[in-house]
Amino acid sequence: MSDATQKIEETVKSHDVVLYMKGTKEMPQCGFSSRVAGVLNYMGIDYTDVNVLADEGIRQGIKEYSDWPTIPQLYVKGEFVGGCDIVTEMTLSGELDTLFDENGVAYDKDAAEKIRQANA
Amino acid sequence: MTRTEQIETRLRDALAPRELTVRDDSERHRGHAGYQEGGESHFHVVIRSDAFAGQSRINRHRMVHKALGPELTAAIHALSMDLDT
Repeated sequence: MSDATQKIEETVKSHDVVLYMKGTKEMPQCGFSSRVAGVLNYMGIDYTDVNVLADEGIRQGIKEYSDWPTIPQLYVKGEFVGGCDIVTEMTLSGELDTLFDENGVAYDKDAAEKIRQANA
Repeated sequence: MTRTEQIETRLRDALAPRELTVRDDSERHRGHAGYQEGGESHFHVVIRSDAFAGQSRINRHRMVHKALGPELTAAIHALSMDLDT
């Protein structure tokens, strides 16, 4: 296991919700990362953001770790959930709420409903 | 062959879609990271295919990545997907 892989595994296993993204949750550097961080921020999720632009090893390593070629990547309880398209679809369908419910992740249910109403 | 045509051909061959739209969205991302003059950097694909039946969202995306191949996937800066049966 490479250093990057080991570091990724430690991060996703020791935090309930982790977002690998370009930039930070306060200042995303890419539209797709911005969209996912925006959803998590709005839903009041307590999550760890990892800026792949700050570490080339992690940027490449995360793609190999999940066998997924793009950033952002969302992890819940160590499991890869998806990228921007999938997180968006799951937010609108309510599947993301279910995933958080099942994993005991606290979130603002009203905020999730507001996102769905605004995109109905 | 343009990159758009290349994407269309590979998706058609691999997934036998009933419906396929490949849209070059690059102009909407002018000035953003990854934008290249001439476009063909940002794409949106809509695919309706029986091949997706019984597959999770993640698997559906992986099927598209596989169909495009690693080089084309890496060459495209951004690819958003709307995938269903």
